[in-house]
Amino acid sequence: MASEKPAWRQSILYLVAIAAVGSALLAGMIFIGITASVTNERVEQQTTTHLGELLDTVESTLSIACFVQDQVLATEVARGLLKNSVVLGVAIRGSSGELVRLYRDDASHKVDTVKGRLVRKIRSPFNAAETVGEIVLDPDPESFARVVKQEVSFIGILLWLQLAIVIGAIVIVMLRLIVRPIKAMSDRLHRMNAALGDRLSIPGGYGGTEIGRLAMDVNALADQLVASLDDEHKLRLQLEMDEKKYRAIFDNAETGIFITDHAGRIESHNRALSRQLEFSASANASPDGEGALIGELAWCEPGRLGELIISCVDDHVTRNGDFEYVCADGASRWLNIVLSPIGGGRAQGVVSDITGHKLAEDAARRQAVTDPLTGVANRPGLEQRLLSAIRQCDGNPDDGFALMLVDLDGFKKINDGLGLPIGDLILKTAAERLRACVKGSDAVARMSGDEFAILLPRVTEEALAANIGERIVRSLGQVYEVHTTPIMLGASVGITLYPGDAKDTPTLLRHVELALDRAKVSGGNHFTFFDPAMAEAAERRRELESDMHIALRRQEFSLFYQPLVDLSSNRLVGAEALIRWRHPTRGLVPPDAFIPLAEETGFIVDLGFWVLEAACRQLAIWQGEGKEFYLSINISGRQIPDGMSPAWLAATCRKHGVEASRLVLEITEGVLLADANKALDWLGEVRTFGFGIYLDDFGTGYSSLSYLKRFPVDTVKIDKSFVRDMGGDKSDRALVEAIIAMARSLRLQTVAEGVEDATQLALLREMGCDRVQGYYFSKPVPCEQFDAVCQHIQGLLA
Amino acid sequence: MMRLAVIFCALAMLAGGAAAELVVVTNRSAGVERLSRDEVINIFLGRLQLLPSGIAAQPVDLPATQPERSTFYRLLVSKDLAEINAYRAHLMFSGRIVLPKEAAGAEDMLSLVAGTPGGIGYLERAKINDRVKVVFEFSP
Repeated sequence: MASEKPAWRQSILYLVAIAAVGSALLAGMIFIGITASVTNERVEQQTTTHLGELLDTVESTLSIACFVQDQVLATEVARGLLKNSVVLGVAIRGSSGELVRLYRDDASHKVDTVKGRLVRKIRSPFNAAETVGEIVLDPDPESFARVVKQEVSFIGILLWLQLAIVIGAIVIVMLRLIVRPIKAMSDRLHRMNAALGDRLSIPGGYGGTEIGRLAMDVNALADQLVASLDDEHKLRLQLEMDEKKYRAIFDNAETGIFITDHAGRIESHNRALSRQLEFSASANASPDGEGALIGELAWCEPGRLGELIISCVDDHVTRNGDFEYVCADGASRWLNIVLSPIGGGRAQGVVSDITGHKLAEDAARRQAVTDPLTGVANRPGLEQRLLSAIRQCDGNPDDGFALMLVDLDGFKKINDGLGLPIGDLILKTAAERLRACVKGSDAVARMSGDEFAILLPRVTEEALAANIGERIVRSLGQVYEVHTTPIMLGASVGITLYPGDAKDTPTLLRHVELALDRAKVSGGNHFTFFDPAMAEAAERRRELESDMHIALRRQEFSLFYQPLVDLSSNRLVGAEALIRWRHPTRGLVPPDAFIPLAEETGFIVDLGFWVLEAACRQLAIWQGEGKEFYLSINISGRQIPDGMSPAWLAATCRKHGVEASRLVLEITEGVLLADANKALDWLGEVRTFGFGIYLDDFGTGYSSLSYLKRFPVDTVKIDKSFVRDMGGDKSDRALVEAIIAMARSLRLQTVAEGVEDATQLALLREMGCDRVQGYYFSKPVPCEQFDAVCQHIQGLLA
Repeated sequence: MMRLAVIFCALAMLAGGAAAELVVVTNRSAGVERLSRDEVINIFLGRLQLLPSGIAAQPVDLPATQPERSTFYRLLVSKDLAEINAYRAHLMFSGRIVLPKEAAGAEDMLSLVAGTPGGIGYLERAKINDRVKVVFEFSP
């Protein structure tokens, strides 16, 4: 609005003049008002005085006129007074009434406004104390106002004149002292170029005034501005140089760099990024890539990249990720993108080509899940496949898969017999055959040794799985040509189905293993489906195993003794110590129910120590009682050679003060079969300590006669199955006879077990058997009954 | 000067009073026995045209040459003759007022008073006679 006013109306001069005139008008009006009122009063006073004086001049005549009540004389006096312009009217009263009343002709309308009426008593001319009349004099208000007006207007004119002079003086002073120098400075400023050193000159004579100081301040400001401009100019040059340097670094970096907004629009980027993302070749981007939406480039997962950008910008956190990019030639490239928020809703991206790393990483990952020998997956690889298969099936109740576990029957023997290289070749061939048996989408993995697993996605029917299992057994059962040597191997296959059998990887693996175990146990070379009963059995075994450990601690085991009778001396010479388990809830558990499990799990070693201890304790007791019995204890294959070392045996006997010859160790043929050399060493050592060795269950297994020759046993124990059938079966009798004869010829003693009646005893005695044991004499009994049994046997033999 | 003059006049009055006592007389049939000083003044200076008895008053002055006239007015209103004359000049202007007749002398005064029913004049006590009645005395 101010700009719409003409320039002169904004000038200081104009404003000052307006202010001066305004205040002068106000002051003048107030002054005139005061003057008018004062003048009014004064004129009124003057008029009264004037009228008084007028009356004084006619007083003597008036007094006479009143004294004598002379109307003529009074009228004459009144007329005289009316001649005075100030007088409007006169009334004269004598002592007896009004003498005269005279007014001007035009007085009628003024009488009401009369002010300052003068009333004076008239004294007698002869007696000043006597009042003889009264005169009333009305002044003319108009004449009164006229006088006032004249006076006031005169004073007003004087005042206005005075004010006009003062305002004029102010305006002139303002103009000369302020406006003109300011105007001059302003004009100078318009033309002034501070950068060239122009400065304001101080108008002459104004050095010490505000104008002079203003000019100096303006000059100082100009100096400052010029200095700052110089600084800024230098700074800008520096910045430009820096910018060029950084631009060069940015442009020449081998790493792709770009700046993107929230939506993924590339606002700026370097050459390396153009190369990496092939902007010139990309159909979606302009040749220079500027303004392209990064998400529309050839990423394999553009959505994930978009999310990364948004999360970086929104959360103000540096993010990074690896993204696959498809180049124009179709090759894929892995790029690592590190996004850093740079404010203003933008992010800076640094792109590195990590294709090499990625490939190496993939290779390493593949290697980690690959079996190096066969090239199929390894156990972790299979577990991964299993997990992903389970994930795929998740939420789809109709989907499922089959898992198979394949084991080459007898592979260990091949490995041991023909050496590892041959074994490896066979494993390779087996892996190839397995791969050939299944589809490319199925997974084949080598779990360990000769164990392979096969994952068959979408195989949910037992019939189909059985088909494949059959095919595998057949395929693996064919001849392996190794260095022109034909080798035959069987294969056992365990099969489990997801989701029917189990829902998670560990359970599936356990189940398939159980199925495989069953297949192997039942002879091998066939396949077996997992059956919940297997799991139950396994569970029972697990319980049993844990119970066994507890039983040892709780002393639930005890030794029973079955007497051994020497036939040549017809005496009781010792006993076989047999372990019994008194389970708190199951009652007496037979050895058959837990010994195989104890052997399998290795618990037999602990149990063996306990048995040894218990046997030695009993021997010590007998020894103390003067009974020269010996005790035989059973040693399992698992206890040889380290589970029950010869040194330990000797030490334990020594501890109890028992002679080694009192303790007999019963071993089975199986011990000798497993690792012949180790067994041989063990036996030799044991014998040097003086322990006796019985070969238990002779005749039931391989019963290689060469073993009897090779191994230093001193007694052969004829299995009870032969002894039992000896009475009716001639061949059995012959067999027993042959064993006894053979033992004798090898200078080995014989013990027959399972003797149940006197006939058998007689036969054995006849055959020349050295010792017997069996229910005929006594069943195995706890030690407290043993003395009674001794008595009973003495009776039988007597 | 005025003050000196007043003192002088007062002295003269005392002297006059001592020398000759002036009395106011009226016609015997004027029906007036006594007059007050104010009544005398009013009658002689034109204010009253009638005597208290209702008879038109006719004041009579002694000739201006006789000192009694001057004494009379001095005693009556403390004014000298010039003042009295100036006063009477105003009254003459209107012409309504009856001015005192002028007697030629004391004898004439007596005759005029006695000869006019409402006649009233002044004389030295020594010069009055029975034809007139004293109605006012300037008390010493």
